Formats: sequence, structure tokens, C-alpha cells
Amino acid sequence: MMSVKELNPELQSNLPGVSIEAGFDTNDLVVNIGPQHPSTHGVLRLVTTLNGEVVKEMEPVIGYLHRSKEKMGESRSLFQYQPTIDRVEYLSSFYDHLVFVNCIEQIADIPVPKRVEYIRVICLELNRITSHLLWFGTFLLDLGASTPFFWCFRDREEVFTIFENLTGARMMYNYFRFGGVNNDLPAGWLEEVRAFCNHFPDRLDEYEAVATKNPILMDRTKGHGIMTKEFCLKYGVTGPALRATGEALDLRKTNPYSVYNELDFDVPTHTGCDTYARYLVRVQEMRESIKIIKQCIDKIPGGDGGALAILKKEVEAKTKEAKKNPEIVVPHWDKDWDTMGKKINLLTYKPPAGEASNFVESPRGVLGCYIITDGTPKAYRIKWRGASFSNLSALPELMKGHMYSDLMAIFGSLDVIMPEVDR
Amino acid sequence: MSNHSHDAQHPLNAIEHAEGNVVLEGIKAIAQGFATVLKHHPREAVTLEYPEVMPELSDRFHGRLSLLSKSDDTDLCIGCQACARVCPCDDLIQIDMHRDDDKKPVVTRFTIDMGRCIFCGNCTEVCPVDCIKMLSDFELADYSREALVLDKKDLTLSGQESDEWRAKRGYTPTVL
Repeated sequence: MMSVKELNPELQSNLPGVSIEAGFDTNDLVVNIGPQHPSTHGVLRLVTTLNGEVVKEMEPVIGYLHRSKEKMGESRSLFQYQPTIDRVEYLSSFYDHLVFVNCIEQIADIPVPKRVEYIRVICLELNRITSHLLWFGTFLLDLGASTPFFWCFRDREEVFTIFENLTGARMMYNYFRFGGVNNDLPAGWLEEVRAFCNHFPDRLDEYEAVATKNPILMDRTKGHGIMTKEFCLKYGVTGPALRATGEALDLRKTNPYSVYNELDFDVPTHTGCDTYARYLVRVQEMRESIKIIKQCIDKIPGGDGGALAILKKEVEAKTKEAKKNPEIVVPHWDKDWDTMGKKINLLTYKPPAGEASNFVESPRGVLGCYIITDGTPKAYRIKWRGASFSNLSALPELMKGHMYSDLMAIFGSLDVIMPEVDR
Repeated sequence: MSNHSHDAQHPLNAIEHAEGNVVLEGIKAIAQGFATVLKHHPREAVTLEYPEVMPELSDRFHGRLSLLSKSDDTDLCIGCQACARVCPCDDLIQIDMHRDDDKKPVVTRFTIDMGRCIFCGNCTEVCPVDCIKMLSDFELADYSREALVLDKKDLTLSGQESDEWRAKRGYTPTVL
């Protein structure tokens, strides 16, 4: 925390013997930032009390994007509810789906084939890259650098085309199912992903060449918005913001889910605690994601989708024939190659009564879901825990004593997405 | 200038001071940035000049909904209401059907309000006869909301078009 005196020593020296507070009539000024402000990445209103240019108090007003995500789940069947999950955290909607289907899989005890787990991990990590890319572009745009914004969108579009080839949609995927995925990989999809993984690190080097060592960026981020570990834990701040304090809390490592314990990757941390540290952690996370995806492509059971689809058709046909004629040899089919662990009629699916909660590491932090089912097609209660809400709640205390012009740099570094806050 | 730049004892400044001349480092970084931007000039543009150049869409693209027919141009839809039941948007799909003298289903009305459709693809997944499917058509803009409510005639593809769709996407229909 610094006072006005510390902020402007030159002005102080020009007015000898007069403190700035006494020299000017410094009535507090209340400024309404938002709700429609280009830099708030959504609809957020910040009621800010300013003393000169220094933020004295700040109160976020949220709820403009409230669409009753939790209540909607109680009035729709689980499968009917699934597409609406996409619309909440639209920058990384694979994660919301994963939490949701994992909960139902726990309740109904549905097995998940190995191939599905690997497909899911590839999707998740690609989604982390797209989410961080959008953050990277907008964060620098808020600081005045417009070039990286276009580069990020170029690369994001490339990943979206990969997603479109797999799921049919660019952002609202609706791809994961209870115990499996909607569709197997199309022919040649893994090669597309590999090609992207091969050239993306070079692109990332280009981004870093423009931004990381830039003196303007460093001046505006280094030493600003310092969040200590204790502060983060107090507010429940998770994700890259917490890892930038040196605390290596990453659910992929600490509570491995899916197949993350079979993969070799590091959890990038930094001890800077400031805006710049959060920037460095996120950029490093994109590199780690590429590392994970490359391993998944090599390890995925069954390999590429094209050959496997042909084999599957053959197996199905031969199995039918073999019932009539036992001499026919059915080709080998591994259970790990399935795309559904258990056949489920989505139209009439009723999970047994029970409850389950699940947490995953989303690009923004810990994302959780808690579901109670009562044996009907609908859920009795669904509760979501989004990282954005907790991360945003830390902003008022974080901003106290900072210059107004630092607001967008500090707020941008938290990577908050408003629909997830309001739900 | 950063707020702590005058304070050499500040821990964050310690690194900068150890590295030597901050100004020289800054100029080097900015020059490197400019060089990277210049590298982009000879590269090919990634944008498409739509509508002259159309994007290549995948076979699984979630576009306009349509009803496929049998090869002989008769209706494939049996009016089972499965698509209407899994649709997350209320009353988006409306179906009227009755059974004729041979107890065969006859669909008299099938409307989809494309203006409210969220293109999730749930309906295409539960259709027991693989009738309701998505096309690659994404240019759906119209002059009024009413024009976006498509009736059975707008939605139904001819037998030939349906066969082409099935051939293109390697589809073996469940019932024909």
C-alpha cells in the first residue's frame, strides 16, 4: 500500500512544505466502471472510490449475466441439460462437461474406456491452450499491445478448426457423454493435432519475443498486484494466480484424475506473486499442455480413428455372422478401444439415486460440481464451483492503494470470465 | 516508470540492477519485437475473403437442421417425439402425428424454430431412424423471426439429396 506522497515525489518537491492532501481539496470521487466496458471481458460493474488517481475502495457488482445455470439442471433431464453447460464457461467448456459427466459416472458407476480418457485429455489440453491464448491476447490488448491479439486469434482459430472436425462445433462442443464421448476420432485427426503441436511452440516463441521482455509490459506488471500465498488461500484464489505465488497446487498433479498420472509434465510455478509472475506461469502452462498432448497422441490406445472405424465395422459384422456360423474368426477387439464404456439410452437415462462431487483443474483454477440425483432423469440439485467467482472476489482488496491505470493490468491477470461468475 | 524504480533496495529491482543497463535491455527487447513483427510480412494471409471464398467445413458440422427422406422420396420420420424431448430449448421442435388405417405413422406437422436453435446436436443423436440431421448450411439469416420457423416442407430433403448426404458422411441408416 502506498500513499499519494510516495507516488509522486516530483510533484511533492515542487510544493515545498505542502502535502498533496492538504494542497488540493481531495474529496473522494466515486467512479462507475462498467457494466459495459470493453476491458471487463463481459458485463462487470466496479463501483470505485478514487482518491485522486488512487483506488481507495472497490466494490464489484455482479449478476448481470445470471442465467440460473443451477436451477436449469433441476428442470431438465441430464442429457437435455448438457448443452447448456457449454454456454456458461464458453472459453473452456470441455472442462465443465468433464466435471459434469465425471459426477454422473461416479453416481452410476459407469466404466470409462482408456481411449476415451486419452481423447478427453487431448481435448482438455487443447482447450487450455485456446483459453490461455484468448487471455494472452486480451491481457496485452488491455495494456496497449494490439498485435499479439491478432496472432492469438489466428492460432485459436486453428485449434477451433481441429475441434470442429472432431465435434462439429467451434466453441459449444457438447461432446463428452456419460462413460464416453459422442463420436470417435475422424480419420487423420491425430495428425492434425500433431502438426499443430509441432509448430505451436515456435509461435509461442514469437509471442514471447514481442511481449515477455518488453520494458513497457515489465514496468506495468512487475511489482503490481502482489498476492501472497496467504492472501490467495484466504480468498480461495486458485489456478495460475495461486501457482504464481510458488504454491504448486495443480489438481492434475496433486489429485490425479483421468490419465494424468500416466503422463509426464511439470507444474509451472513462480515466486514473483505479481502480475508479471501470473503472466509467465500462463505462458509456461501452454508449453506444458503441448508436452501433454504429444504424449497422449503417442499413447492413445487404438491410434487414429480411420483404421479403427473400419476394424470396428468388420468386428460388428463378423460377430453377427459368428452367431450363425461358429467357424468364422472375429478379429481382435480390445475393450480399451471403445468410445462408450456402457451402452446408455440417452433419451430415457435415469441414474440411480446418489450424490457425487468432482473437481478438475480448469485454465482459471479449480472447477467443481456437486450433483444429487434421486432416481429420476433430472438431477435433484446441481451446484457449481467456478474459479472465476473466487478469483474476482479478491480484486477489491488487491486494488486498494493502486493507481486507477493499473486496474486493467491487474484485473486482466486474474483471467476472470463473467458468465462463470454470474452463472 | 514503475513505482519502485527509485528504490534500489526493492527485491524486484535487485534483478534489474544485477542485469546491468535497463535501458539497453529495453531497447534490445523492443528491437526484437519489431523484428518479429516484420517476419510476418512475407507470410500468407490466414483470412478468407468470404463470401467469394467459402470455408471448408467438416462433415460433422453443426449447421441447419433437416429431415432426411427414404430413397423413394417418402417420409423417414415416424413422429416419435424423441428429438423434441431431448431439446434443451422449450417447444423448439413441434410435431403432430397420427396413425393411418395400416397403423403406420403419418407426420402432419413438423416445425423447427431455427431462430431459437442452439445447434447442440442432441436431436440428431437420439433419432431412432437417423432422420433428423444437420447440414453444413450456416447462412441462415432472414428478414423476420417468423421466416426462421421452418415447417416440414422446408426441412425435408428429397430422396436423392438424402442419399448424397448419407454417402458423403458414410452413414448406414438404421431403418430404411
